[in-house]
Order: sequence, then C-alpha cells, then structure tokens
Amino acid sequence: MTTADSQNGKRLTARGAKTRARIVDAAADLMYVKGVGTTTLDDVLAASGVSKSQLYHHFEGKDALVRAVVDHVGERVIERERRALGRVSTIRGLRRWRDALVQNSALQHGAYGCALGSLAGEVSDHDALARHTLSRLFTEWQGLLSGVLRRLQDRGVLPAEAPIDQLATGLMAALQGGYLLAQTARDVTPMATSIDMALAHIESLSAG
Amino acid sequence: MTTHFAEVLARESACLAGVTDRAKLADWRRRVVEELMTPSSPYVSALHQPDDLRARAAFLDQWRELIAEAVDRLLRPGPGPTGDRRGMPDQPCGADADAQKIAVLILAALQGGSTLSRIARDPRPLNAALDLAFVPFTATEGNLPDGERSAR
Repeated sequence: MTTADSQNGKRLTARGAKTRARIVDAAADLMYVKGVGTTTLDDVLAASGVSKSQLYHHFEGKDALVRAVVDHVGERVIERERRALGRVSTIRGLRRWRDALVQNSALQHGAYGCALGSLAGEVSDHDALARHTLSRLFTEWQGLLSGVLRRLQDRGVLPAEAPIDQLATGLMAALQGGYLLAQTARDVTPMATSIDMALAHIESLSAG
Repeated sequence: MTTHFAEVLARESACLAGVTDRAKLADWRRRVVEELMTPSSPYVSALHQPDDLRARAAFLDQWRELIAEAVDRLLRPGPGPTGDRRGMPDQPCGADADAQKIAVLILAALQGGSTLSRIARDPRPLNAALDLAFVPFTATEGNLPDGERSAR
C-alpha cells in the first residue's frame, strides 16, 4: 500500500498511510463509476474528506493519483482472480468463474464494467507508466487463465498442441469486450454470450 | 450520429456485404485489425472514445448485425452467396441464433482485443482474440485454428 510513496523517498506515518489509502479508495470508486477523465481532484477531495494540502502531500497531481489507483485496483483484481482461478482444473470450474463475474456485473446491469478494464480503456493513451503497469497486470491475469487451460491440457481435456497462452489471451479479450458491450447496452447479456461462446470454442478444440 | 460511427458503419456495410467465403472473411479481419492498430483511424475513435452512450449502443448494434449477416452466410450450407432466404419472411435481414452469438463474440473480441493491444502496443492480443472468435471458420476435423495469431 505504501510502495509508491516509499519510491518517492517519503516515509509514511501510520496516520499518513491511512490518509493516503482513503484518498486512493475514494479516487478508485469515483473513477470506476464516473470514469477517469471526468473525475477531478475536487471530486476526490469531496469524496474522501481530506484537505487539499493533505492530497498534494501524497500526490503531486492527477497522473500520480491515477497510477496509485491502477496499483490499488490491480492488486485487488489479481487477488480476487487468484482466489477464483488458482485451483480450477475443469471446464465446469471455468463456468463457475464465469457465473460469478456475470452475476456481479448483472447486479449493476452491467453498467460499470471491469474495474481494471475501464482503467485500461481510459489511461492507456497519455500515460506510459500507467499503461505499462496495466499491461503487466493483464499479463498476470492472463497467466492465471493460462494456468487453468494448462491443467485442462494436462488432464487431456485440451489437446497437447492447443496454443494455451493465445487461448488465454482470447478468453481475456472476450471477457473485457463483453464487459464493454454490457456497459454500453446497460445489460449483462452480451457479456454472458461473449464468454460462453469463447468457452464453447475452447471446448470444441477438445472434440477434434 | 457522430461522424466516426457513420463512417465505420458505411465502410463495414460495404466490406461485410462482400464477405462470401472464408478467404474474404480473413481479408475483412486483416483490414479491421489494421484499422484498430492505427491510432488516428475512425475505428479507434468509434470503439474507444468516450461518447454518447445511446449513439454508441446504436452503432454497436448495427455493426453486430452486419457481422451476424456475414457469419450467417458463411455458416449456411447450400448453393452459396445467393442462398434462398424465403423461408424467413418476417426477418428480411435476420441472421440465425448461432450466427448472432458468434457475432457478439467477434464484436467483443474486436473491442476487448483492441483494448489489450493498445495497452501492450502489440497487435498479438487482438489477433489471439479473433483466432478464438473465428474457431468455427478455421477448425476442421482434428485441426486447431492456425489463423494469423502469430502474425506481428
């Protein structure tokens, strides 16, 4: 939680760390709901209840705050996905993973999408550092999916020559694209269809 | 409708109408990937610029429908591109349910794949996404898709 600040050479007191976490939490929520572009530092001040000088003590500007949000959201998503995918070794297990994601999104009628994917859609253009971090996080997430597919392959469910890493990338793209379609349609159906079709195509490789 | 939406739809409607076999589908795909890897392309604005939600939803619906019609044509066994559609009088441009679902996946692959490709600055994620979406058109018995997934 304090890595970014320790990189800046600042040492955080327990209270400072708490304030910083409060700012990042509020910023992450706002950026998830409103988008990165339309979230202002004033919004973050209002939502977190910290003072302007406190905010600038921890972040020199919006870019720095966005990077902290990327780190924070990334950590949370990877942690969640590690728990969900770390031991899955069946198609049925993959379907349960799919069900959880679709149902969570359905609670908001698909409105807000994937916390990490929305950041990827908005920060990639103008901030190389945030873009690299996002790229690394998605590679890590895809690695978890590759792990599942490799276990399926070890069990003979997928053929030995199946291109595991590319299938994992394809599945991630179907998930992220599904989130975006659901967000636009305000309806989770296209997300469910997209992942279902991707899983069906992966399964069809085993029938050959 | 915003100009980049209209422009992409005009181009897609012309190009997808010409997709009558797998080779032409592969040509279509190559062209769209090229567009999506070109930052100044209207395709990139259409998929990635924050825009009016309703206009965007209408755009995606129409593009998906165009893709579904092309997919339907390729999946339908029979005499070929001029296949008889009189069996479905109430749906003059209605692709069947499987084609609709594949079209959703293709559109999601374009959208999600190009997001991953943009942050990686690398066309490979987008190509991997399309390889998976195109499995029904590349896999023949016992064969794995071997599209252009390794193309850079």
